[in-house]
Amino acid sequence: MEFQVLYRPAHSLAICNLEPNETVRAEAGAMVSMTRNINVAAAAKNPNEGGVKSLFKGLKRMALGGESFFTNTYTAMGQPGHVSLAPSLTGDMVVHHLQGEQLIIQGSSYVAAPDSVSIDTQFQGFKGFFSGESLFFLTASGHGPVLMNAFGAIETIDINGEMIVDTGHIVAFTAGIQYSVVKASKGWISSFLSGEGLVLRMQGQGRMYVQSRNPNEYGTAVGALLPPRDN
Amino acid sequence: MQHQIEFGPSFAWLKVQLAPNEVIQAEAGAMVRQTPGLQMDTRLNASRNAGFFAKLKAFFAAMARKIFGGETMFVNDFHGPQGGEVVLAPGLSGHIMHQVLDGTRTLFIQSSAYLASTGSVDTKLRFGGIKTLLGGEGLVLQECSGTGDVWVNSYGGITEVPINGTFVVDTGHIVAFDGDVNFKVKGVSGGLKSFFLSGEGLVCEFSGQGRVWIQSRNLSALVGWVTPFLR
Repeated sequence: MEFQVLYRPAHSLAICNLEPNETVRAEAGAMVSMTRNINVAAAAKNPNEGGVKSLFKGLKRMALGGESFFTNTYTAMGQPGHVSLAPSLTGDMVVHHLQGEQLIIQGSSYVAAPDSVSIDTQFQGFKGFFSGESLFFLTASGHGPVLMNAFGAIETIDINGEMIVDTGHIVAFTAGIQYSVVKASKGWISSFLSGEGLVLRMQGQGRMYVQSRNPNEYGTAVGALLPPRDN
Repeated sequence: MQHQIEFGPSFAWLKVQLAPNEVIQAEAGAMVRQTPGLQMDTRLNASRNAGFFAKLKAFFAAMARKIFGGETMFVNDFHGPQGGEVVLAPGLSGHIMHQVLDGTRTLFIQSSAYLASTGSVDTKLRFGGIKTLLGGEGLVLQECSGTGDVWVNSYGGITEVPINGTFVVDTGHIVAFDGDVNFKVKGVSGGLKSFFLSGEGLVCEFSGQGRVWIQSRNLSALVGWVTPFLR
């Protein structure tokens, strides 16, 4: 199977072409259209495990990953077919081809992957807790393409060394890169006043995907002008 | 200093390569990513002055900019002994424009359009007259002067319009204009009746010689459209 991304970067749409009896898993709500022979199953499960364990995995993903609990599976029955997928925000989509390495994906950036890729929530501990910017990561591992979406355009950058990245702009990075959550400047007060708060210090060698807009910043800019909600 | 504006016009960001000890000033929260050798200093968004009273004045000036100008109260200076790269992005979707100030010309920009600047570029709050306070479509401007580069961001694409005679722009669509252009804020066809009935709100009439930069989207219009959907 393969993903083809059209209408980049603002209003990207991904076409997923499936061979007979191939399956793609996608976030609930992402489906735009599909051929008639596609069988849809709503499942909170990872095909590599069964029963109770996969149920807990689904719950964990919802609680920690900021993701929808349900993942839909789309299977082309008997003959080739396709599914088209779109995220809710305007922005680009990118495909990372996993070849056995791990890819760490910011929770809301994951869109779809085939069964050969397994998705799990990486426990972030205090790293995620302090960031306050819904910094929850999913870990994709295995072989095959992973489809991700972004708010804005996506920059693909290979690093070997160190880079500081704003928490609201990270999309994904390969596991050869270690990250730590650090203050944007030396002191807590100036970190807060700088508007940057906490940032990610990325260290190591690997590929990183960065988005050109921060959803929280956009929400804050527009939200500040909206009338207050009456409760 | 080298710079590139990438991913325009929808999701533009500004990428800057700083030579050793070169400084770029950016609005708070704009940093997307930076190399680790760069230091970020946070300070009040007012001219660099020494002395207690100057600092007190700077505090009130920065506060006024936040309250009236829609600007951030703090700005960040990026610099480093070895130089480095920093990427800056605004919150809204749109483009970025670069202008060079040589000390003899000034540039008026719409208050929330400021992204970054270098050298001795300074901004002063300017009101577009009493009429701008009507109807919430206020036109609050910053006058940029000094010597150096300035980068402004827009909501939507940017069109440069040469002024030779008179030209009318909706106040919500102004990004910037040359300081020697005359401007007058008024109802679309003069009277208050048209102001309330035409749906155009206030317009700005430019005259003389110079350039005006206009943006293809209006933030107030987006807010007006979203508001009825809130529950």
